[in-house]
Amino acid sequence: MKRRTLLALPALGAALRGQTKIDDPFLEAMVAELTRSLRLSIAGEAPYYIEYMVEDGVNFGCQATLGGLLNSVVAPYRLPRVMVRVGSYEFDNTNAVYTGQVRGARYDSNRWPLEFNRQQIQQDLWLATDRAYKAAVQEITLKKSALQNITLSEKINDFAKQAPLVKILPAAKPRTDEKKWGDVARRLSAAFLAYPKVLDSRVEIDDSVSTFYFANTEGTRVRAPEMVCGVRARAEAFAADGAIIRNHRYFHAFRLEGLPAEAVIKQEIEAMARNLTALVDAPLGDAYTGPVLFEAFAAGQLFAQVFGNQLQAPRDPVSVPGRPVNLPPSELESRMNGRVLPDFMDVIDDPKAVWNGRPLFGCNETDYEGVAPEKLTLVERGTMKTLLYSRQPVRGHEGSNGRGRMPGAFGAAAAVPTNLLVQCRDTVPRIELKKKLLELVKQRNKPYGIIVRRMDYPSSASMVELRRLANAMQGSGASRPVSSPLEIFRVYPDGREEAIRGVRFRGMNVRALRDILAAGNEPEPVEYMLNTAPLALMGAGGYVVGAAVVCPSLLFDEVEIERPQEERPRPPVVTPPPLDSGA
Amino acid sequence: MICWRDMPLVAQPSFRNGRRSIFAFLFAALFAGDALLAAETPKLVEILATELDRNFQTLKEKGDPKPYFAAYAVTDNEIVSMEATSGLLAAKDTRHSRNLDVTIRVGSPKLDNYRRQPRDIAQFTLGSAVSLDDNANALKRRLWLDTDSVYRSASQRLTNIKSDTQMKVDAVDQSDDFSKAPASIEFRTTPEFKVNEKQWAERLRTWSRRLSGAQEILNSAVSFQAQREVKTFVNSEGTRLQHGRTFARILIMARAKAYDGMDLATSDTIEAEEPGRLPDPKVVEARIDKVIADLRGLLKAPEVDPFVGPAILSGRASGVFFHEIFGHRIEGHRQKDESEGQTFTKRVNKEVLPEFLSVYFDPTLKNYANEDLYGWYDYDDEGVKARRVSVVEQGILKTFLLSRSPIAGFPESNGHGRRQAGAEIVARQSNLVVDSAKKVPTAELRQMLIAEIKRQSKPYGLYFESVTGGYTTTRSQGLQAFTVIPLVVYRIYPDGRPDELVRGADIVGTPLASFAKILATSDKLEVFNGYCGAESGSVPVSASSPALLVSEIEVQRKNRSQERPPLLPRPSNPLGGVE
Repeated sequence: MKRRTLLALPALGAALRGQTKIDDPFLEAMVAELTRSLRLSIAGEAPYYIEYMVEDGVNFGCQATLGGLLNSVVAPYRLPRVMVRVGSYEFDNTNAVYTGQVRGARYDSNRWPLEFNRQQIQQDLWLATDRAYKAAVQEITLKKSALQNITLSEKINDFAKQAPLVKILPAAKPRTDEKKWGDVARRLSAAFLAYPKVLDSRVEIDDSVSTFYFANTEGTRVRAPEMVCGVRARAEAFAADGAIIRNHRYFHAFRLEGLPAEAVIKQEIEAMARNLTALVDAPLGDAYTGPVLFEAFAAGQLFAQVFGNQLQAPRDPVSVPGRPVNLPPSELESRMNGRVLPDFMDVIDDPKAVWNGRPLFGCNETDYEGVAPEKLTLVERGTMKTLLYSRQPVRGHEGSNGRGRMPGAFGAAAAVPTNLLVQCRDTVPRIELKKKLLELVKQRNKPYGIIVRRMDYPSSASMVELRRLANAMQGSGASRPVSSPLEIFRVYPDGREEAIRGVRFRGMNVRALRDILAAGNEPEPVEYMLNTAPLALMGAGGYVVGAAVVCPSLLFDEVEIERPQEERPRPPVVTPPPLDSGA
Repeated sequence: MICWRDMPLVAQPSFRNGRRSIFAFLFAALFAGDALLAAETPKLVEILATELDRNFQTLKEKGDPKPYFAAYAVTDNEIVSMEATSGLLAAKDTRHSRNLDVTIRVGSPKLDNYRRQPRDIAQFTLGSAVSLDDNANALKRRLWLDTDSVYRSASQRLTNIKSDTQMKVDAVDQSDDFSKAPASIEFRTTPEFKVNEKQWAERLRTWSRRLSGAQEILNSAVSFQAQREVKTFVNSEGTRLQHGRTFARILIMARAKAYDGMDLATSDTIEAEEPGRLPDPKVVEARIDKVIADLRGLLKAPEVDPFVGPAILSGRASGVFFHEIFGHRIEGHRQKDESEGQTFTKRVNKEVLPEFLSVYFDPTLKNYANEDLYGWYDYDDEGVKARRVSVVEQGILKTFLLSRSPIAGFPESNGHGRRQAGAEIVARQSNLVVDSAKKVPTAELRQMLIAEIKRQSKPYGLYFESVTGGYTTTRSQGLQAFTVIPLVVYRIYPDGRPDELVRGADIVGTPLASFAKILATSDKLEVFNGYCGAESGSVPVSASSPALLVSEIEVQRKNRSQERPPLLPRPSNPLGGVE
C-alpha cells in the first residue's frame, strides 16, 4: 500500500485500539475489515471514514379483507450498508448531487446469507468496501471539478466529528406466530361485514424484529435491538354524491404482544366503520375561517406534520454548474431563537419518554449514524431553541444530537424526531375548551365552530389524492402539504355537533401555530411509523422508524378551511354484492 | 423491447392426477349450463361465475355503453425459493399469492375497447390481490369493485377510439377486435408440490461450496425454485375452467472480473416439471463444474473482435435465435398494429425460411428431446384450448400465433392468448420447435463449417455453445434488429488448431437477412427453457432446435466496464488480512 495511507492511519488506529474486545461475530468481522480497508488508496484519495451497518431481522406482514386473508409473508433478511468517505471532515465526497450516483459492477450481495459465516461476511464487506471506495473517489473528483465553476456562498464542513460510542445490547430474537396473527387479521377484517356501506376495507398487521449492528473507523460499535409492529385498518366508502371518503385506525408497539387487546382494536375499528357509515350521508363542508378546536389526537397529528417535519435544517448539495438543487427550506430554521408558539408552550424531544408506564413508540438507543440521542428542549416558553441534527453540518450548526434516524439525501442521514412532547404551562379541562370555542363563535357571529378529532396522518390516501393535495398546498402558502381532516365536525352554539366531509386546511404552517389560544389538560399520544414518503404514507417506505407525539387538545384562534372542487366518480352501475355476515 | 432471459421455471403435467370432471364444448352463452356445473364445480369457480353473471347482466341492462363480453381470471401461485452461496443458506422464501384479472369488452366484436391504437396500450385489469382462502365475502367485494373500475376505463377508451377512428384514415387491417371461440368447461386437479426443504437446503449448501472453492469467482450462488400455478377462468360465454401446473428449476450463477475490468458471468439452469424430476445431484455437480470451468476459461480468454463470418449455433442458442428473430414477429397482434414493423405480415404462403426448415408451436407438448418443456398449458388465458400450430411448413409461412384478437385472413384464435397476472392478453409464444429436413451428425456439421470458413477465406468461424437470452425490437420506429447474448463462444480454426474460447461477444443482426443464411442443421435437438417478457408480462416458454450452420453471422463487442478488479487482496486471514 501507498505510504500516504499509512501516514493517515495512526489517528484512526488509536481510536480502534482503544476499544475493549467485543464478543460478537458480526462486529468482529466488521472491525477486521474496517482496519484492513483503511489501506485503500488510488489517485491520492484515501478513506478518512468508513462505516459498516447491518440490519439482521425478520419481517412479517399479512393483510386481510372481510374475513379473507390476502397474503401473509415472513421474510428474514440481513441487509448490509457500507459507507466510505474520502477526503476529510472538512471536504469529502458527500453533500453533492454526485453522491450515490456512481455505481460500479456489484459483486457484494445486497442481502447477506441467512446463515452466518465470518469468512463470507468479510468477503462481502471487502467487495462492498471496494465498490463504495471506488465510487467515493469518482464522486469527490466530480465534486471538485463542479466547484471549479461555482462558488459556495459560505464554507460548511462536510461531516461533523463525533466521539465514539460503544453500546452493546442484547440482539433481538425474532419470532412471530404467523398463523395466529393471520387469524387475528381475518377476525379484525371481518368486523367490516356488519357495515355494508363500507365498500372496501383492509386490515394489515406487520411485525419487524431486527438487530442493528454498526461499526465505524472512529471506534463506534453498536449492537441494538430494533422492533416495530403495528395493526392498520383502512376503509373506503362512496358518499351519497359519489365522492370517495375514507378513514383509518392504527396501533403501534414494539412487540405484537404490546398492542392493545384484540377486543379493544376491534372496538376501535367498529367505531371507525360507524363513523364512515355516518359520513356517507353527511353534508359537504363549506369554506370557513374562524376558531377551530383540534382534540388531542388530531392536535398530535397536526404537530407531527407542521412542526415535526420541519425540525431538520436542509443543506443544498453541490450541484452541476448551472443546475442548482434547492431543497425545501425549514420554516423553523429561520425562526431560531424566535417566537414559534405561544409562551405557555414547550416542546421536548425525548428518546426515552415513557407514557403510562411504557416507553413511547419513538424511543431508541442510537440513530442511523451510531450516535446516542439525548433529551432536547426544542421550544421553551414559545421560543425555538434548537433543531434536530445528524452528523451533516448545516448553516450555523455543526454536531449531531443523535437525530439522524433515517437515510437521507447525498450521503447524509435525515434528522427526524423521536418522541415529541408538547407541554403546556396553562391548561383547561376539555369541557372548558369546547365552551371557549363556542364563546369565540358567538363573539364573531359565526353560525358554528369547528372541531377536528382525526387527521389523515400517516396518510392512507391514494397517490392521486396526495398529488392533488401537494398541488393545492403549493398555492396556499404552506411549504409542505398538510393532510386532510378525516373526522371533522361543525359545532353549533347549542353544542350540537354535525359531521362534515370534503374539506381541507389552507395555509396551515408554522406561522399558524402562533394562533393557539388554549390547551387542554388531557394529552394523548399519537404513535406512528415514520418513513420517507410524503405524509408518512401508510405502509410505504423501505425504511421506517417509530415516532410519537404527545399533545393536548389545542384551540386555534383562526384557521382557514376550504372545500376544493374535485371531480367525483359516478356511482357504480351495479349494486354491491350482499355480504353474508353469518359466514 | 421484448426480451428473453433464462429466468425460468419449468414444468410437466400431472399425468397421475388426471382430469376429474366433465369436459365439454359449448357454442354459445345460451346454455351456460348449470346442469354441467353440478356438484364438482370448485367453490372458486362458483363464486366467480355467480358474480360474473350478476355484474355482467346488470351492466348489460343499465350500462351505457353496454358490455358484450366479460371474464374473470384468478391466478393462484405458490412459490418456494431457496438460495445458497459459499456453503451457506442465503435466502429462503415461501409465498402464496392470488391475483384477479377482470376483462370487459364494451361496444361490439367489430369495434371494442381493445382496438389496437398506435402508442396507446390498452390496460384495464388491475391484477388485484384477492382472498387466498376462497372467502366469498372478500372475493365478491373485490370482483364488484374491480369490475366497476375496469368497466369505467373500458367505456372511456371505447369513446376515445370511436372519435379517433373518425379522424384517421382506415387501418390496413380491417379485421374485428374479438373473435368467436367455443366455450369450455373443465376442472383439473393440479398436483400439490412437495418440497423437502431440508434436503434442498443441504444440496444447495453443498453445490454452492463447490462454486466458492474457485478463488477467481467473486460472487456465486445456486438457487432452487418450485412453483405451483393454478388458473381459474370464467367468462360470459359459459367457459368455466380450472387448470394448472407445477414448475421446478435449479439456477447456477458465477461472476468474476477480468484483469482488464470486463465483468464476466457464466450460468446454467436446469428445469423440470416438479422437484422430483430434476436430475440427480451428480448431474447438477457436473453442470456446476462446467460453469466454473467456463468462467475460468473466459477470464483468460482474449476479447472478441468484431466479426462477420460463418458460425454454428448450438441447439439452445438456435432456439433463442428463433424465439427472438422469428417468434416475436409472428405474434398475431403485431400484424395489425400500424406502429409495428410487420416483417412477416404480407408473407403468408411465401418462403420465409430455407425450404428444409419447418417451425411449429405446440403448447400441448410436455416433453421434447428428453427435457421437460416450459411452455405448455391446457388452455390459454382466454380459455381457448391449447393446440399445435404449424407456422412454417417447408420454409413457407402458414399462419401467425393468435389470441382472440383476429387479423386479416385469420379470424380465430389458435390458443396463444397469454399473460402474466395483472397484464392484458396478447398473442404470445408457447413451445417453439424447429424441425429440419437437412440433418447431419454434429461432426459433419463441423466439417461443413470448416469448409465454409475456407470457402470464404476467413481466419476462423465461431461456435456459440450457450446463450443467456436475447432481445429484439419489433416496432416500426426502431431498427428491426435483434441481439442474442452468448455466454460461451469459441473460435473454430480451419487449420486444426484447438478451439479457442473468446469473451465479450453479442450476436446482432436483422431477421430476414439472417434467415437466408442458414445452410444446414445437426441431428441433435436441444431445449432452452425460460421466461419471455413482452407487453403482456412474463410468460414461461421454451424453444427447441437442432444446431444451425449459418454462412454469415455478425458479432459485436460487448460494452464493458473499465473498473479495476478489487484493490485489496481477498480477506483470507480470519483475523483481518494484515500482510
